[in-house]
Amino acid sequence: MFYKRWLIHYLQRPAVTSFPRGADGAAPAHAPQDVAPDKLFRQSLALRQLDGGSCNGCEAEIQLLGSPVYDLSRFGFTLSPSPRHADLLLVTGVVTEALVPVIHATYEAMPEPRLVVAVGACATEDGGVFRGMPGAVGRLDGVVPVAARIPGCPPTPNDLLAGLLAAVGRPAALAAEAR
Amino acid sequence: MADWSVEMVRDTGGADALADVLSQLAAEGSPLVHAFVGTRGLTLVVPSRHGHHPEEVAVGAGPFSRPTRAGHELFGGLEHNLPPSIWRHASRRRPVRGRGLHLMPLGPVRGDVSESLAYQLVVLGDEIHHVRLRAGYKRRHVVQAMAGAEIDAALLVAERVTGTSPVAHALAFSEAAEEAQGRAVSGDDRRARVVLAELERITSHVGDLALLAASTGTVAAAADWLRIKERLLRYQAELTGHRYLRGVVAPGGLHHPLSGSLGDLGALLKAIAGQVRDIAGALERTNSYLDRLHNAGRLPVHADGAVYWTGFVGKSAGLRRDWRWDRPYAGYQGITAQMLPVSLDRPDAYGRARVRLEEIQQSVALVERMLASEAPAARKMRSAGRAGVGYGLVEAPRGRLCYRLELEGGRVHAASVTTASQLNWPAVPLALEQHNILQDFPIIDASFSLAVAALDL
Repeated sequence: MFYKRWLIHYLQRPAVTSFPRGADGAAPAHAPQDVAPDKLFRQSLALRQLDGGSCNGCEAEIQLLGSPVYDLSRFGFTLSPSPRHADLLLVTGVVTEALVPVIHATYEAMPEPRLVVAVGACATEDGGVFRGMPGAVGRLDGVVPVAARIPGCPPTPNDLLAGLLAAVGRPAALAAEAR
Repeated sequence: MADWSVEMVRDTGGADALADVLSQLAAEGSPLVHAFVGTRGLTLVVPSRHGHHPEEVAVGAGPFSRPTRAGHELFGGLEHNLPPSIWRHASRRRPVRGRGLHLMPLGPVRGDVSESLAYQLVVLGDEIHHVRLRAGYKRRHVVQAMAGAEIDAALLVAERVTGTSPVAHALAFSEAAEEAQGRAVSGDDRRARVVLAELERITSHVGDLALLAASTGTVAAAADWLRIKERLLRYQAELTGHRYLRGVVAPGGLHHPLSGSLGDLGALLKAIAGQVRDIAGALERTNSYLDRLHNAGRLPVHADGAVYWTGFVGKSAGLRRDWRWDRPYAGYQGITAQMLPVSLDRPDAYGRARVRLEEIQQSVALVERMLASEAPAARKMRSAGRAGVGYGLVEAPRGRLCYRLELEGGRVHAASVTTASQLNWPAVPLALEQHNILQDFPIIDASFSLAVAALDL
């Protein structure tokens, strides 16, 4: 099986997308892209995903980031199983009250410097269609400082990649702006 | 046969009436379609022996004066309505005590990319002895969001119950709304609905197989599955404008006509069916994959009580339960002839993967038949069972899905939803407790791939 695959890859280029130049979705990630990357986040970055009450749509797209089509490890990103090894926290969903202490604990467990990125329409737009539901906080900003937002329902893997790259562009200034 | 379910319900206290009804249903072999808690207390819905409409059996308001509790306990004794402040203490309380037993809390933040759900694993050395699930972290109050909303707004919520199977939810919602309003659906729309539902099933199954392959460390196979999934998602985006087919199915037909043509779908699905066969064949020769799956998470079949397992969990245990056959909806009436729901006598992780593989091939065949056949006749208006009340019973990728809607003047007056994941989650602790070791946990978890979002409604 290995040699067959090797031969196929040798004969035709492997199907990997190019560097995300533009966003797939209607709205681009809310972070400036024209700034030089901060030295802290230049070589590699460990991501931790946290479901704050999502419909599983954002998770499905984040899982696809690891596929050979998007291959987020090309940009130095890895998915970390533990928040203690993570530099960046991806939070999806409406942010339910029951998960607020969990988000706090996860954020506190991450070593400094750390970034939080809100992913999806629910986390970026006050809960999306679940706005005003009991138990739905809606805004992630009041819970932890948010450095960047990636809107979309769900954001495509290409949007996620573009947003992540934008998020590590200038973390300190963005984090200050969010506060 | 029904011991497990009845015992679970009794724990709620004073629920003998319900237990009697459930055991009677189990004895008669009639599946419980749906249960919901309304103003009359708990109501069970069973299929009618005579007419098309399901029958409603009110159990009475007496023992179920605390509706949400009873309702959730019915679906598996999972702990809902967990006060947010006690999650730390809750995860430390040991459900089983004994010499050498250790409690291993896992979650709500767990795995690489996963939904919030806490497991409490009681282990003796490596062996998993007892498992408790703690759900309720991510309740979005879906039913509450639908009640009182206009139909279009409620449909948006229905499509976001589980983000990976929006067609099934939109279809169940639409079927319920159409039945309540007595609306007809054109033949072409019914055909498109079948195609979309089957596309979603294939995509969902391929994604589940990718998770399973990744959990066993067969990275190349996982990458191959994900590539197929991405190809399907891109086709779906071309066809409808949304990668997960949201915003297409709506009451009365389709929200907007398909932007792509279905002409090249046959060729695409044929190619994908071939790739699926190739990958499955290669995995079938990979011992490191098979050894992890065989006998992992074997379900004790006698535990299948009145609340039936559904979808691939039931099918792998030899239970042919599929609403596409049992109660054809949309355009399934004509195309399921001379085919049977997939069924295996192998309720372990391997069987659940195998059912998905066979269902992918079956879905491809169903779409081919649908495209080759004439568009089904427009559905006549059904005589509504009760004015303004409609049911949508749909076979979602993970199993049976039921919507019950009460409409009043263009608004949803009341809604209730039973998802396949609600019915199947109670099987996960059972499967884990069958002499599995901790290293089997991710594989068994992935072999179910149930949605937490569909449990915490």
